[in-house]
Amino acid sequence: MKLNINRSLASRIVFYVLTFCLFLFIISLSVFYFFSKKQMKEMTYNYAEAITNNTVLKTELILSPITKIANNYKWIIENKRLSSDSIFGITRKIIGNNPEIVGCAIAYESFFFKEKGRYFAPYSCREKGNIKTFQLGSTEYEYFVMDWYQIPASIQKPYWSEPYFDTGGANTLITTFSMPFYSMHGKEKSFAGVITIDVALDWLTDIVSSVKILETGYASVLSRNGTFVTHPKKELMMNQTIFSYASEMNNPELRTIGREMQKGKTGFVSSTLNGVERVLYYTPLPSSNWTLAVVFPKSEMFLPLRKITVALIFLVVIGLILLTFIVSRIVSRQISPLEIFAKSAREVANGNFNNKLPDIKSKDEMKHLHDSFEHMQKDLSTYIEHLKSTTSAKEKIESELRIAREIQMGMIPKIFPPFPNLSEIDLFATLQPAKEVGGDLYDFFLIDDKHLCFAIGDVSGKGVPASLFMAVTRTLLRSLAPNQLSTAVIVNALNKSLSAGNESNMFVTFFLGILDVESGILKYSNAGHNPPLLVHPDGTTEFFELTKDIPVGLFDDFDYGEKVLNLSKNDKLFLYTDGVTEAEDAEEKLYSDQKLIDCVRAHFESQTKDLIRFVAEDIALHVKGNQQSDDLTMLSIVYYGNQDEGSL
Amino acid sequence: MKHHLSVLVLFYLLAFNCPGQDLPKITFSPHWLPQAQFAGYYVAEKKGFYHAEGLDVRIIHPSVSINAVVRLAKGESDIISSFLISAISARSEGLDLVNIAQLSQNSALLFVSKKEKNIKSLADLNGKKIGVWKSGFDEVGKDLIRSNGYHVTWVPILSSVNMFMVGGIDAMTVMWYNEYDQIINSGINKEELNTFFFSDYGYNIPEDGLYCLHKTLTLRKEDLKKFVRATLKGWEYAKNNRSETLDIVLEEMKKAHVATNKAHQSWMLDKMLGLIEPGTKNVKKGQLSESDFHKTQSILIDGGYVKKKTDFNAFYKPVL
Repeated sequence: MKLNINRSLASRIVFYVLTFCLFLFIISLSVFYFFSKKQMKEMTYNYAEAITNNTVLKTELILSPITKIANNYKWIIENKRLSSDSIFGITRKIIGNNPEIVGCAIAYESFFFKEKGRYFAPYSCREKGNIKTFQLGSTEYEYFVMDWYQIPASIQKPYWSEPYFDTGGANTLITTFSMPFYSMHGKEKSFAGVITIDVALDWLTDIVSSVKILETGYASVLSRNGTFVTHPKKELMMNQTIFSYASEMNNPELRTIGREMQKGKTGFVSSTLNGVERVLYYTPLPSSNWTLAVVFPKSEMFLPLRKITVALIFLVVIGLILLTFIVSRIVSRQISPLEIFAKSAREVANGNFNNKLPDIKSKDEMKHLHDSFEHMQKDLSTYIEHLKSTTSAKEKIESELRIAREIQMGMIPKIFPPFPNLSEIDLFATLQPAKEVGGDLYDFFLIDDKHLCFAIGDVSGKGVPASLFMAVTRTLLRSLAPNQLSTAVIVNALNKSLSAGNESNMFVTFFLGILDVESGILKYSNAGHNPPLLVHPDGTTEFFELTKDIPVGLFDDFDYGEKVLNLSKNDKLFLYTDGVTEAEDAEEKLYSDQKLIDCVRAHFESQTKDLIRFVAEDIALHVKGNQQSDDLTMLSIVYYGNQDEGSL
Repeated sequence: MKHHLSVLVLFYLLAFNCPGQDLPKITFSPHWLPQAQFAGYYVAEKKGFYHAEGLDVRIIHPSVSINAVVRLAKGESDIISSFLISAISARSEGLDLVNIAQLSQNSALLFVSKKEKNIKSLADLNGKKIGVWKSGFDEVGKDLIRSNGYHVTWVPILSSVNMFMVGGIDAMTVMWYNEYDQIINSGINKEELNTFFFSDYGYNIPEDGLYCLHKTLTLRKEDLKKFVRATLKGWEYAKNNRSETLDIVLEEMKKAHVATNKAHQSWMLDKMLGLIEPGTKNVKKGQLSESDFHKTQSILIDGGYVKKKTDFNAFYKPVL
């Protein structure tokens, strides 16, 4: 049971909390990732740019002095009158003063020095730590067609040769810087030859290969023609140009990049190289028109970010697991009293109000619930106790009421025919009480041998007071009627008795009649009661005319009148209380005087008992099972008259 | 039985003798540095076709400044590969060499010019500076220019395309299979170039052929026959196994420290295999067309390179 509660409520809370946390985390991480990525890209690009520029600077530190040296000596050669043999010394000097220079030639046009003939190119180079000097040109070595001579001679500009391997066998990569020089004849100048400086490129390889960007990023130098001068892949060096490589890799994009490099441009570009998307930054080496490029895989750029992100995700997953655990524990602990409350509620339902409640020390909603429960238990207990005593009191009252009713009913004559020896009349009456003790009454008795006194009444209100009032009325009637043949006298006396001390202002509608059974003369007084019906033997039926007399018990000095009616033989009287005409159906429609008279008229020939039965059935038909709210009292008398007389 | 014996001897020679030991030695020199132009020879050597013929062939490349003809004249090489035009020139200069097989049937020569130089037709070359190899093969281009009555400044170039790249010349004589692709691999797009193929101007003259001195032919005809046979086999193998051939060529170049790359050598191999095919020419693979010979010789005579005519039959001595 505990598990089920926890599962439903606690797991729901945990689920919502987790969902929200996860949502929050995903949003935060996405924002973090997005901005960091941007930042990281910018940083890496800046770093690549910086490291490239730094490398360019380092190479320029070596390459740019070369151009200066060549320029300086060019000036000397052009402006000093130098003997042909002194040129050898110059080439030695250039090498001797500059350790990074491995060779130097000053090559002249044919017959520049007539004594030297067609070829004159003093040359010095390093060999095993010494400087070796000799004349380079010969039929075997026609330097005029060599790139290092021919190109600067042709374009009349300094020229950095494409790098090449030293033929000396040291497998050293070399580049030659060549600068044309001129002979001056006054203001005229004519091309005289080329001064060259050979530079080994070991240092370039060292500088460039020391560049590391991210994990596997590297730098590479490309010559003017796009040849890889340095590259981490040795097989590319001096074998491939960026263009041949692009063709081999079937990557036209790379070719485009190479052409941009040749134009001396600087830029970032992304391209897929060897199946990996890489970022390339390139910039020219100003002295040589070569290009320095750095390349790094795009994925590595975000590797640290990815690591952080993975670590973050890991931490968050751990955190969420912990959160799940802790939240479920806390929630379980917090709501655990609910189980006891639920148990307690069931116990209360079973009537056990003293069930123990959980011990709540906090002052939160749970405490309120606890207090409410405690209050409810106490209230319910008190209420039930109260209810018990009330119920027993009510039961007692009901029992007393039942007895009161029995007594009440016992007062009413219920033996029919009441006067078997009196042939002049027949009489039948019923009192169908409503649920409660009611206030209807009827009574009949013989005052003397030939006078039948009969009465019907309806006490105002219901219950015990009405019942008592009715009992009093009936007792008074019985005590006042003997020896008195005037209904008015009896009713007036009754009124006086009932009015006296009637502080509860109760009253009774009362019809009292005294029938002289011999003569058929009926004296009657009607104190505010429903007018009875008079049914003639031919079926004509009418209500008694209404009197102006008020119900009995209201004013002790009211003077009630008396009326006289001569009954013919076989005339019937039908008396009733308002319980008959005011019987309601479910729609509160009354049975009504009209329905009553119609019913009585329809059964005018019936015996008194049958007539009452038919009316009762007709009422039952009308109310259709609706609960009876008032006593139904009916009294019917048929006057046969003197039989003997009749027969006479 | 005798037949079986000879097989056994051959097997013995192949299996137990160190390569070349006691086999007739042949020194072969291609006319240039190692590259796919000579793929067939490397393949024949590497795949043991020479050895299978019973030859010990050593391939020795000429240096940048000393060509193969000089090696042949000096007796340093037994067989050389050479352009037909160079061979006729050499013979007219007194070198008693003979053509024992003609491999390339077509001309791979062309003038190439950057479009920015605005040379749209052959006539536009008039008065321009054209680069041409110092080491030879200049005659055809020169004849093409001269026969059209143009005057150009010929700029001798050793081997690279750098002069062309830096714009030191207006146009350059190049090989379709070699320098043209080097230019492309140096960053110039083919649509930025104008080309003038010599073959389009009636100069589809054969190029690479195999040569030896006449006395070698007399003394070692069988060896030469074997050499040519194995060489043709090598080219056939190269045609059918390009990828492997390419690897063999690259290895050869690596050994010689010659800068190169697969893309360029692949281009060269493809072009070379095309040049070997006689096409519409009325000769078989490996044979020299007599009319091609006369056309070539007339170029040389018209250009004043050669004074004395050589008889075709004295020049062309096919060994197969």
